[in-house]
Parts: sequence; C-alpha cells; structure tokens
Amino acid sequence: MTRRAAGERFESKLSTHPSLLQAVEVSMDFHVNGSALRVLDEVTFSAAPGEMVCIIGRSGCGKTTLLNILAGFLRPSGGQVLLGHEPIRGPGPDRCVVFQEDSLFPWLTVRENIAFGLKGRGKTHHQIRHEVDRYLALVGLEEFSEYLPREISGGMKQRVALARVLILHPQVLLMDEPFASLDYHSRREMQALLVSLWRNMHQTVVFVTHDMDEAIVLADRVIVMDMHPGRVRAEVDVPLERPREPEETEYVFFRRRLYDLLKN
Amino acid sequence: MLLVLWMIVSGAQIIPEYLLPHPVRVLNTGWTYIASKAAHLPYAGRFFDDVSASIVRVFMGFGCAVLCGLPLGVLSGRIAMVNSLLSTFINGLRAVPGISWLPLAMVWFGIGIKTTVFLVGLAAFFPIYLNSVAGAQQVNLRLLQAGAMMGVRRLRGNFSILLPGAMPQIIPGLRLGLGISWAYLVLGELTGVPNGLGAVIMDARMLGRVDMIVVGILLIAMIGRLSDVILVVSLRTCFKSARRMA
Repeated sequence: MTRRAAGERFESKLSTHPSLLQAVEVSMDFHVNGSALRVLDEVTFSAAPGEMVCIIGRSGCGKTTLLNILAGFLRPSGGQVLLGHEPIRGPGPDRCVVFQEDSLFPWLTVRENIAFGLKGRGKTHHQIRHEVDRYLALVGLEEFSEYLPREISGGMKQRVALARVLILHPQVLLMDEPFASLDYHSRREMQALLVSLWRNMHQTVVFVTHDMDEAIVLADRVIVMDMHPGRVRAEVDVPLERPREPEETEYVFFRRRLYDLLKN
Repeated sequence: MLLVLWMIVSGAQIIPEYLLPHPVRVLNTGWTYIASKAAHLPYAGRFFDDVSASIVRVFMGFGCAVLCGLPLGVLSGRIAMVNSLLSTFINGLRAVPGISWLPLAMVWFGIGIKTTVFLVGLAAFFPIYLNSVAGAQQVNLRLLQAGAMMGVRRLRGNFSILLPGAMPQIIPGLRLGLGISWAYLVLGELTGVPNGLGAVIMDARMLGRVDMIVVGILLIAMIGRLSDVILVVSLRTCFKSARRMA
C-alpha cells in the first residue's frame, strides 16, 4: 500500500501524460575505499507508453548505472523505479535490455539466441520456430539464422540482440548505447531499423547514448544528464517529423541546443 | 623415431637386456598377454580381465571426482563465501602427494577396489574442481544478466548459461582429471588387488619381468590416450558449447 501511495504522490509531481516507467528520486552511491561516491542524485523522469526517450550525457555521468537500475541489475541507494505503478524487483522480461555489445550466447546460433527467452514458456517447438522466423525477417537476418555470433558482424549481432528481446514483448525496451561500437553507416541503418520497429510495435523505449545526433534522430524527448553527481539537467521535447535529416534547420537548432546543454 | 633409437640401443646391447628389453621381445610379451589362451604361460590371456578391472576403477573414481568437483567448483566460482570456505582447505589438501594418502586409505577402506577408487577419485578431483572454479568465475556477467532479464530462472540459468559459459575451462579440467586418474590407478593397484594393469606391473617387477612392465606402461599410455579421445568426442556430441567454443 505504501508503495502505491508513493507512486501516486510522485505521479502528481510529474508531467501531464500517463507514465509507464518512472524513476522516482533515484540515487546511487558507490563506496570506494570507505568514502561514498554519489553517482546518481535524485534522478526523476518518466516514459509514457509508446514513447521513445533518450537519456544523453557525457561519459561518466552515470547513465549506464541508471539503466542498470531501471533493468533491475542494481538496487538504488535511494528512491525507486515504478513500472505501471508497481515497484520493480530485480530484472525481468517486462524490461528487456539491449546491451552495448557482446551479450549474445556464443554457443548458440542466431536462431537459438533469438529463441532463448521463449523456452520454458509452455510454447510448442513449432510455435517457437514460427515466431523466431518472423523476428528473423523483421531484423533482416533470415539468411544468417544458422550462423554463430562470432561469424557475423557487429551490426548483425545487435540485430540479433534486438530480436531476442522484442520477441518477448517487453513493456519497456532499455537500450544501453547499443550502436556505439558500430561504424557510421551501420549505425544509421540500425537507427532507422529501430525507428521502424518502434513505430510498428508501439514499443516504449528508453535509449541511453552520448551521441547528440543519435538522440535527435531517435527521441520524442531527450533527457540531458549532468555529471558529478549525475542528475537531470534538462528535458527537451523533439517534435520533429521522422525521418529526421541532419540538414534540416530544426535539426540544427536542436543539435545546437543539446550541445549547449551538454557543454561544461 | 623413438622406436628406431630403442631398437638400435637394445640390439647393440648398449643397455643390457635386463634393464631394457628389445622391442621385439616386448611385442611378443604383449601379444601373449593380450591374445593367447589363458594359463600356459605367465600373464597369458590376462589382458581383458585386467583392463576391464582397471577401466571400472578409473571410471568409478573419475565419476566420483566429477560428481563432487564440478558442482563444488561451479559453486565456489559463483559464490564468494563458498569459495573462501573451501579454497584454503582444498588447496592445502592439494599439496599433499597422493602416495601419502595410501596408508590412510588402506586403514579406511582396506585392501581392494574401494582404496583404488578413493585414490583415483581424490587425485582427479583437484584439476576438475580448480578448472570449474576458474570457468565459473570468468563467465561474462553480461550473459548472466541477459538471462535474468529474459526471465530465466536460477536453476535453468545454471544449466543453460553458467555451464556452457564455463565449458571452455571445464573441458581441460576433465581431461586433466581423467589423465591423472590413469596415473593414480597404478598407485591404487599397488595395494594388493589381484588384477588390473597396475597390479600386473607391480607383479612383473617382483618377478623381474621388465618386458612385462614395459608392456603395462605402453598399454596404459594407449588406453589413457584413447579414453581422452572418447571423453572429448562425447563432450562434443553432448554439448553445443563444447562443440562450438573450443
């Protein structure tokens, strides 16, 4: 009961739209050599159903820590995370993560990696096969289904990482700089793929990045993080039509704005 | 190459016959030992009895070592408290040479198969345990997190993520363990069991049959190598992770 009350209290504090995922005054201290280092300081934000939220900040601002807390891998020192008004307890398939890199199971083929989360859910062999085929097609990997992760490129690996969590229909998709290690063109391709999947599946996405262009190309709303300690410096709505091209005047405007916000 | 050297050395009597018998003689003895009908010559036809007895002992000792070493090792690798409880104890025991267990084992288990199996199992335990610890420790945390966020429960996670992830370390542990099992078999069969390859070697020493000792050594080497191949092949057949990550 108290948890629910806490959720309602904070919802009234937040902006107008109904929220699916909420971080409520989340703080995180790491203890190093007996002294506490405050990495996150009362971070509060929310993501509405179907919204694409980008969290942007410079390296070391605690954005990956924040994502780990949202995913349930870390327990915050203070505050809490609510998913549909219920506080989260540990990791679970309602909040799936696409990691930065190399999180596929190296002993499983592309197909087996995508099917991994479906096992043990009372689905027949046939149903699983059918679903996996569908998601292989969605991310354009039909021809690579029997390859092992080490045999495919970095971009393809991230397609697999995306497919294996989308197939579980998570309420929120959490992405931790998933395209950071890709070359420019693969990154643009993956961003376009993500936008099209997000549109078709009405998926709520929280996307962590340090790349301003990535944030502007993707986000409905950008949350700019401050560092030492990490806290929310500003929230910027990006009401541009998609696809967004870097040459457009509005794009340049937003880029300038983010640049100023991130500076110092 | 080694064989040619051996033939020259023995043929020219550089090393006397009673220290190193000629290869042809060894071959003859081996043939008698393996293929002749029993009883018209010493050791004739005993091979299958001995080898099956030895294989059973190695198999039982190695099996016990796997059943204890693998789960304990994986637990120690994942849970720091278990590791700190076990590691001092186990690493201390590891320093004790196998032969010093022999008297104790004989007091505990008497003369016979139990002592042999105990010694073999004890010796094989350490490499299996230590490699499982290392394997479980180096499993990428990301993989375990990925499993957790996809809703994999603890028990399934252990079998579908932790074990395959640790497999590249577990396999050499098992192979070392099996190799040591054969080495300790001879020690274990010193204790006066009537049959087995180790018993034959000790028996031949008593009777001064150096040729028979050499036959025993060669046979153990061959069977040891063969069992290693069988182990690797069967692991590869049974586990995707053994097949695809080695």
